[in-house]
Amino acid sequence: MIRNASTALGGRILSFAHALGGAVLLFRQFLRELFARPLLLNLVGEQVYFVGVRSMGLVFITAVSTGMVMALQFGLGLEKFGGKLYVPKIVALSIVREMGPVFCSLMLAARVGAGIASEIGSMVVTQQIDAMRALGTSPIKRIVVPRILACLIALPLLCVLGNAIGILGSIAIEVWELGLDPIFCFEKAVTTITLRDYLTGLLKTVFFAFFISVTACYFGLNVKGGTQGVGSATTMAVVVSSVLILVGDFFLTKAFFVLFG
Amino acid sequence: MAAVIEFQNFQKRFGSKQVHRDVSFTVHEGECLGLLGGSGCGKSVILRSLIGLEKPDGGRILVEGQDVGTMSESELVEIRKKVAYVFQNGALFDSMTVFENLAYPLRAHTNLSEEEIRARIHAQLAEFDLEGNDHVMPANLSGGMQKRVGLARSIILQPKIVLYDEPTAGLDPYNTLRIQEMILRLKTRGVTSIFVTHDMPSAFAVCDRIALLRNGRIEAIGTREEFESQGPDNPLSRFVRGEEP
Repeated sequence: MIRNASTALGGRILSFAHALGGAVLLFRQFLRELFARPLLLNLVGEQVYFVGVRSMGLVFITAVSTGMVMALQFGLGLEKFGGKLYVPKIVALSIVREMGPVFCSLMLAARVGAGIASEIGSMVVTQQIDAMRALGTSPIKRIVVPRILACLIALPLLCVLGNAIGILGSIAIEVWELGLDPIFCFEKAVTTITLRDYLTGLLKTVFFAFFISVTACYFGLNVKGGTQGVGSATTMAVVVSSVLILVGDFFLTKAFFVLFG
Repeated sequence: MAAVIEFQNFQKRFGSKQVHRDVSFTVHEGECLGLLGGSGCGKSVILRSLIGLEKPDGGRILVEGQDVGTMSESELVEIRKKVAYVFQNGALFDSMTVFENLAYPLRAHTNLSEEEIRARIHAQLAEFDLEGNDHVMPANLSGGMQKRVGLARSIILQPKIVLYDEPTAGLDPYNTLRIQEMILRLKTRGVTSIFVTHDMPSAFAVCDRIALLRNGRIEAIGTREEFESQGPDNPLSRFVRGEEP
């Protein structure tokens, strides 16, 4: 039994190392193909539309509900201790530093990561990726590069939108439920957040964009076993990128505190 | 005639399964070689290895004297421009129209203007009896039409070599005949080809020689007449009758 367990564990470690190595190699190929001609900016534009514009509704709903829930929770909790007036500050800071980047990224991992992995996986299964190579073109250039770039462009912008919507949602609750003055709430939110808070939050989304897009492309390109494989790859892409976002968030937060104080 | 394609002691393994042990054969300029063998014996792997989609584990694959097995992905681009691969299911890009599918290799590898590309695609579609389907998505085409579009896309760069991976599998007699006609037309233009199939009438119609792949080796190779001259128990006849080797 111990032998079976250790074999299974060893297998898991090996497949993790294999996936990690594959993702790193894919990232290297991305860097190599990034500036190779032709630049195919039209493909990047298409993907920015798919990743960014088509995700705006989802980000809007996530941000506004997160902001409202946080304002309600903090408001009801702090009201007992007379700390209601601190709610706009706390919520705005939490949204800009953590909640905005993390929730936007998790939503994108679910929507875009799953979409990329299943789309590329289906192309692998139907030999479209092989056809691209057989026609003397690079799937990395035409499939991977535009998707990674699109995530890098769209996710920080969506995070900016999400932050703004989240803060507005929290102000709405602070006014309606906690009876605070809207101008006071807005002023506190704006004066509390420093440029450093904002930029570190946005910088996190750049890392998260890599986590989502590289993971999704890797699992999509390595689909095996037909349509069932596409399903597994999609699940893995969402799970792995979500875990990377959550774990990565801790280390990035720690690193930013060390670097920027 | 000069040898255009040469397999020299080619070996390929997938995991613990040794698919090809020692495959050696030659295809001459302008010749169409039929490659026959049971399902799963590795016929498609031979074609895939020829354009570098698979790397050999041993032996050499020469295309016009160049060893494809040792080439990098960027070096293979030049080989892939002159060697077309016709996939079994067409492998059309399902997010693109028929026109965009055909335009794809032209935009990637030529400096033709959009007007020239349009003219070339319309001529190609007419040759394949596919006029009026420019803006149709692949999902809305019949299986036979998808294969014809796949063939049209593969040869639009006018390659010297064409690899057919079961192009007539699952097709009705009309579409099978259209594909056969196209292959014969390409032969008259001097195109060298390998034709992987289980469809014996098509193989006899288009191939100059036939090779039988069995147990990871080329068991026999020759013209139909050469096989038949060996009597009724020749390897090709036994294969056609479904007999054990």
